[in-house]
Amino acid sequence: MALNVSVQGAETSDRKGRIVLTESVGRGCRHIRVEIESGCCRPDPGQFFLIRERGVFDPLLGRPLAPIASSNNSLDFLFRIVGRGTSHMASLPPGTEVDLRGPCGRGFPGPVKRRLILVSGSLGIAPFLDASARYRDKMEVTVILGVPGNGWEEFAKWCSSRVPGLRITSDDGTLGNRGNAVEEALSVIEPGDEVWGCGPNAMLRELGHLFKIGSGRILVSLESRMACGIGGCLGCSLPTATGMKRVCVDGPVFEWQEIFPNAW
Amino acid sequence: MPGNAGLHAEVGGLSIGSPVIVASGVWPMEPSLWPEKALEGVGALCSKGLTLEPRTGNSGKRICESYSGLLNSIGLQNPGIDHFVKNELIGLQTCDKPVLVNVSFESIRELAAILEKLLPSRSLVGAVELNVSCPNVSRGGMTWGLDPEGLEKAVSFARKIWQGPLWVKLSPQTSSIGEFSRICQDCGAQAVVVANTWLGMAIDNDEEKPFFERIFAGLSGPAIFPLALRAVWEAAGAVDIPVIGCGGITRPEDALSMMLAGASAVEVGTALFHDLSLPAAICSRLSAHIEARSLGSVGEITGRARR
Ligand SMILES: Cc1cc2nc3c(=O)[nH]c(=O)nc-3n(C[C@H](O)[C@H](O)[C@H](O)COP(=O)(O)OP(=O)(O)OC[C@H]3O[C@@H](n4cnc5c(N)ncnc54)[C@H](O)[C@@H]3O)c2cc1C
Ligand SMILES: Cc1cc2nc3c(=O)[nH]c(=O)nc-3n(C[C@H](O)[C@H](O)[C@H](O)COP(=O)(O)O)c2cc1C
Ligand code: FES
Repeated sequence: MALNVSVQGAETSDRKGRIVLTESVGRGCRHIRVEIESGCCRPDPGQFFLIRERGVFDPLLGRPLAPIASSNNSLDFLFRIVGRGTSHMASLPPGTEVDLRGPCGRGFPGPVKRRLILVSGSLGIAPFLDASARYRDKMEVTVILGVPGNGWEEFAKWCSSRVPGLRITSDDGTLGNRGNAVEEALSVIEPGDEVWGCGPNAMLRELGHLFKIGSGRILVSLESRMACGIGGCLGCSLPTATGMKRVCVDGPVFEWQEIFPNAW
Repeated sequence: MPGNAGLHAEVGGLSIGSPVIVASGVWPMEPSLWPEKALEGVGALCSKGLTLEPRTGNSGKRICESYSGLLNSIGLQNPGIDHFVKNELIGLQTCDKPVLVNVSFESIRELAAILEKLLPSRSLVGAVELNVSCPNVSRGGMTWGLDPEGLEKAVSFARKIWQGPLWVKLSPQTSSIGEFSRICQDCGAQAVVVANTWLGMAIDNDEEKPFFERIFAGLSGPAIFPLALRAVWEAAGAVDIPVIGCGGITRPEDALSMMLAGASAVEVGTALFHDLSLPAAICSRLSAHIEARSLGSVGEITGRARR
């Protein structure tokens, strides 16, 4: 059941970078671009980097973020300010030097089915901005973004400008269709489709409904608090159908059944 | 390590190429996950805390950052000593450095069973690091290291069974780190590691509950450095066996301070979560000090601040 993708620890390393662009994306969200000094291999969608300001010991640890785009010498991130680490990161002006550790973990492997449906909740769209750009010329890709609604207009607009045909849903009905991202996915799914999910755990769990329609494969990207990002500290471990797994190296992308074995 | 002359050290029955050791519980046990060149400058590598039976560790949240520090409540998640000996101990040898095995136990019987399982692999074990200081488990762990009689019993017993190098990793929560270090020395330990994490806690204000399920957790990182340095100073003043300084070492200067205070080697943990180049940088800093003060080797740095 485990994903058959190998992690090469040797690919993960500490890199030096510099913030070259930072912009607000609606209330409480930020887009930054980081130039990587020594260049960088392009991460798979869903792989992530631990990022922190260089030489600063408070906040201490890098925060995991999944790039929304990459080039040979830069990485783009989109994040929401939720606590000390992300508010500090959002306050850094262009020119600030940062440490990055990555690319970490197993991202989404190349899709194996004919159609791909990417289901995201709020900032869960980050890896799908990259994935949709990568795959939309090769196959039919539908991206769904669920947000709370009021206050998320600018964020939704920003994402729409990057994803042609983005389907938006909101809990309060003020943006796109009223409802949640999983309901939207149920309305577009066809038997055999491949589904990838990223967002709150409750949403990822609900994705299991799509199996009933005959989804061929469901992969989910999980979040967990992290310290090392390389499988050493066991701070990110969680129980799965096949024992304790580390989100940072065994994931963050897992087969849905491995994470929610008792959901149905 | 080109340009890092004089860093070789004989410490507690162990011969190491540099006095920088990767502390227990921070490094993956699978070499396939090690970032390239990440062990540059490292003299020895310590295993995760091992118990007789496999453990899944603590449930709930396990880590929480604090001001320049990290609280952890991992709870000794480990595959058990049998699995470690059969699958990991051999793989770890690829680091080409001595491997310390960090051993945690609830009872003397359990300690005996673990050491006996390690005996056939004696040549692969650089030293046993007896963990009498884990704050994150209900039974065993730190309780052994807080009671002088318990400590004496455990160390003497381990000494009888384990003929190889034997180190003891103490808890900073002892009433007197000097006295507890002396107990270890008297019972045959060849080095003391000073020290493990400091007991702390966090509250989730939104939930109005302790952040960790086990309420208390172990604090590590830069925040504890001055506390650990003081403990190393006290321990080094109390014993003749080597003291291994551990706690909050974040910059090369910190390692130098620890050694000047009396440490014969240092262990680094939390700093590796954000800086894999620290061990090599520590080596350069120690080499520079050796050269600047015209010392013969790194061992001569130990305790110079005490003169
Ligand atoms: C693989 C991975 C990729 C991620 N990618 C993105 C991304 O592209 N954009 C983005 O906005 N966020 C992303 N996150 C979540 C992001 O890492 C956290 O929001 C961030 O670490 C919070 O740090 P903080 O110091 O600001 O918050 P804290 O002060 O530590 O915590 C504030 C709140 O955030 C929650 N939180 C803290 N750490 C995490 C964490 N690691 N994962 C989930 N929730 C957390 C806490 O429960 C709390 O509610 C990702 C997480 C992971 C594991
Ligand atoms: C995530 C984590 C896991 C740890 N696990 C162990 C362990 O299994 N056994 C042990 O003796 N110490 C363990 N420690 C303690 C460290 O080895 C070290 O003694 C402590 O963190 C202080 O050093 P530092 O500030 O350099 O991290 C752990 C520390 C951390 C942060
Ligand atoms: S973050 Fe350290 S093991 Fe995953």
